[in-house]
Amino acid sequence: MQLKADHGAIRRQLMLASCSLLGVATARAQQAGDAAAPVDTSEQTFESAISYYHEDGRITAIEPMVSLHSDDGNGTQHTLSAVFDSLSGSSPNGALPSSKPQTFATPSGSSLNSTAQTYTTASGQSTTSVAPTYVVDAGQLPVDPKYQDMRVALSALAQQPLRAFDRWRFGGTLSWEHDFLSLAGNAGYSRDFNEKNTTLSAGLNEEYDLLKPIGGAPVPGSDYSLFQKQGNKNKNGVGLQLGVTQVMTRRWLAEFNVTADRFSGYLNDPYKIVSILDAQGNTTGYVTEKRPGERLRRSAYLENRVAFDRTTVTVAGRYMNDDWGVHSSTLEANLRWWNPDHDRYLQPSVRWYRQSAADFYTPWILASTGNYSTLETADARLGAFHAATFGLKYAIKISRTGSLPGQEPSEFNVRLQVYRQDADQKRANPTALQDIELYPALRAVMLQVGYRFAY
Amino acid sequence: MKNAMKGRRRPWLAAALVAGATTAMTLGGCSSLAGQVGVKPWQRELLSRQDMQLDADPLDAAIDEHMYFSKEASSGGRGFGGGGCGCN
Amino acid sequence: MSLREPGLWAAQFSAMGGPCEALFHGVSEGEARRLGTMAAAEAWRIERKYSRYRDDSVIGTIHRNRGRDMILDEETARLVEFARECHALSDGRFDISCGVLRHAWHFDGSSRLPDPQQVAALLPRVGFDKLRWNAPRLMLPEGMEIDLGGLGKEYAVDRACEQLATECRCPILVNFGGDLRAHGTPPRGAWQVGIERPGQEESVALLLDLARGALATSGDARRFLLKDGVRYGHILDPRTGWPVVGAPRSVTVAASSCVEAGVLATLALLHGPGAEAFLGAQGARHWVLH
Repeated sequence: MQLKADHGAIRRQLMLASCSLLGVATARAQQAGDAAAPVDTSEQTFESAISYYHEDGRITAIEPMVSLHSDDGNGTQHTLSAVFDSLSGSSPNGALPSSKPQTFATPSGSSLNSTAQTYTTASGQSTTSVAPTYVVDAGQLPVDPKYQDMRVALSALAQQPLRAFDRWRFGGTLSWEHDFLSLAGNAGYSRDFNEKNTTLSAGLNEEYDLLKPIGGAPVPGSDYSLFQKQGNKNKNGVGLQLGVTQVMTRRWLAEFNVTADRFSGYLNDPYKIVSILDAQGNTTGYVTEKRPGERLRRSAYLENRVAFDRTTVTVAGRYMNDDWGVHSSTLEANLRWWNPDHDRYLQPSVRWYRQSAADFYTPWILASTGNYSTLETADARLGAFHAATFGLKYAIKISRTGSLPGQEPSEFNVRLQVYRQDADQKRANPTALQDIELYPALRAVMLQVGYRFAY
Repeated sequence: MKNAMKGRRRPWLAAALVAGATTAMTLGGCSSLAGQVGVKPWQRELLSRQDMQLDADPLDAAIDEHMYFSKEASSGGRGFGGGGCGCN
Repeated sequence: MSLREPGLWAAQFSAMGGPCEALFHGVSEGEARRLGTMAAAEAWRIERKYSRYRDDSVIGTIHRNRGRDMILDEETARLVEFARECHALSDGRFDISCGVLRHAWHFDGSSRLPDPQQVAALLPRVGFDKLRWNAPRLMLPEGMEIDLGGLGKEYAVDRACEQLATECRCPILVNFGGDLRAHGTPPRGAWQVGIERPGQEESVALLLDLARGALATSGDARRFLLKDGVRYGHILDPRTGWPVVGAPRSVTVAASSCVEAGVLATLALLHGPGAEAFLGAQGARHWVLH
């Protein structure tokens, strides 16, 4: 191949000299010019997944989500995500099974009679409505049978480098349901040290939630049959997170962070009640749940990732406690195991979780205690329990013909998880409810299918 | 029952001490100890693998987070917060 | 040994004062290990043979026989002849005999410049034209030194790459501390190589797709003197005994062989502020970082 004519004289002499030094092999390789070109390292990724969740014959949820991520190769990144959530089924309302049938009003209802009723809200307005009700058989866990909810959430996140060793990010999320609206914003800063082996970061986030329960939010700690409502309520949350990421060895990366957040406002679940029982265990009435107006939570999280030739192991733990008396420990681990051609992987995962009950958690209240407007909740999510999740994920990497050099291959994946939650610290059954399971285990299955590609 | 739970505040303190110690160790590492903990830039080939990134599977994490948020009293602790849903 | 990506094995070792690696595509781990060992062996062989610090190296032997005629082995003779040609085509800027100047210059980042008289006193001992060279006969006058360090790494890259290419038909990339050469292209069309920001390891200033050929980088990010706001890089102009002022921090040149790229990069730095103009005039593909 001819030497290009636009090489200077010096270069031509140099090429000949190199040729003599290295021998004939180099002469054959005399093709200077476009051997090297700057590469475009920007990348856009499209990622989507749809998950199907089914709990105990009760709740079914389908959740498709989509995410677009772009990286300009210099540290500036943008992410846009959208989630659509569709839940249906039956959700426990917090009341206890009884030896007799029980009648409840659906969330839009305001009375236990099925005739038209008039009720007055705290603001003084009067409205009339027909009250739909549902009946729960004796011995059955009370669940609202027609629970249905749809949610759409959008979020955006941007990250920008400031100097070579630090960056900042900010983002926001908007979430809509027909009875709930959430608006959140976050901002953060990170800085590298020690040849990028250590990164310190700090983040702040702020959330504003508006609750618009159907029929209005109940007055907390009030007699359920009175249907005292308050209209719309809101709550506010602010959180701070500090973290450090540290390269431990060539193979091992660790992250540790601490988080504190504080929520205040209407923190009750507007659809949950607590049963009032007499000394034998017969239900004499219900009270709407009442949680404190503020919740302060702290948690510490540690994650470790270790790389082996064809395997990556991740082990993480979290400890949380709050001023409601709940403290919890989480331990999760997963192992990504690649095949020799590195185009498929299997990822088993496991998670153990244990939490203590909130101070004011009480599966039922005894009628003899008299005043019911103290703090109380029978929501199992604030009770003491332990839970385990077992999961298995399988993924296939597909290289697309025509994709640019250096691009990540596309990935198609499927993941199955089973979850089981069992209550701890169970109280002895009252006499009238001897043969009824008051703390049924919660079992759920989640199947997810996903697809990701770079373009 | 209430008192026994209040007495458990010590694990939180232990966690905070671990955090402080880790941070002090790593910051100390970057000054006079000339970064004993860590690797040289040319030794990062394993760390740059896609499955070694802390945010390797964001959609999996989001789905899990939503599932656990609606069933348990703890949430988050990983990355920065997002918006809530009405399920807790 | 480590698997970088599907089908890409990297053999890593230390040589020439820094990290070295050889990448192979489409071979088994065992084969990659065998080839990697060959690359390391060649690097260590050249390092030992031309080390300034070893008495048993060829350089050590040459220095012990100053004033006497020596017959050099074929490989060393070709290297000295190459050095002579570079000296000629660069008008004396490229000179393997300027090593003695290190007695005056200590690039420790301080502002201690040497006494000009001290430098002037060393100049008579510098200059390739003062050697008696008639291949393969060399006579090194008293007081003079030669140092092949400026060529050694690039030469080792070329030699290792060519040797591996005869052993294996697979795509190969040989990278000794940033001076590298490719033989054959991996399936994705090109090797992806990054150039560090001067003075900041682990920051990639530039990412290149290298389909074939070689890259060499010359720079003075770590060794320099700074006085009165003027930065004196460690590349000395042998004609004056003083460093070049105003040169870019880092110059990367692409060429078909690593020695060619390395000499062009060094010559560019010796042109100081005219580095880019020089490389442009020579039609060399280059990237300059300040």
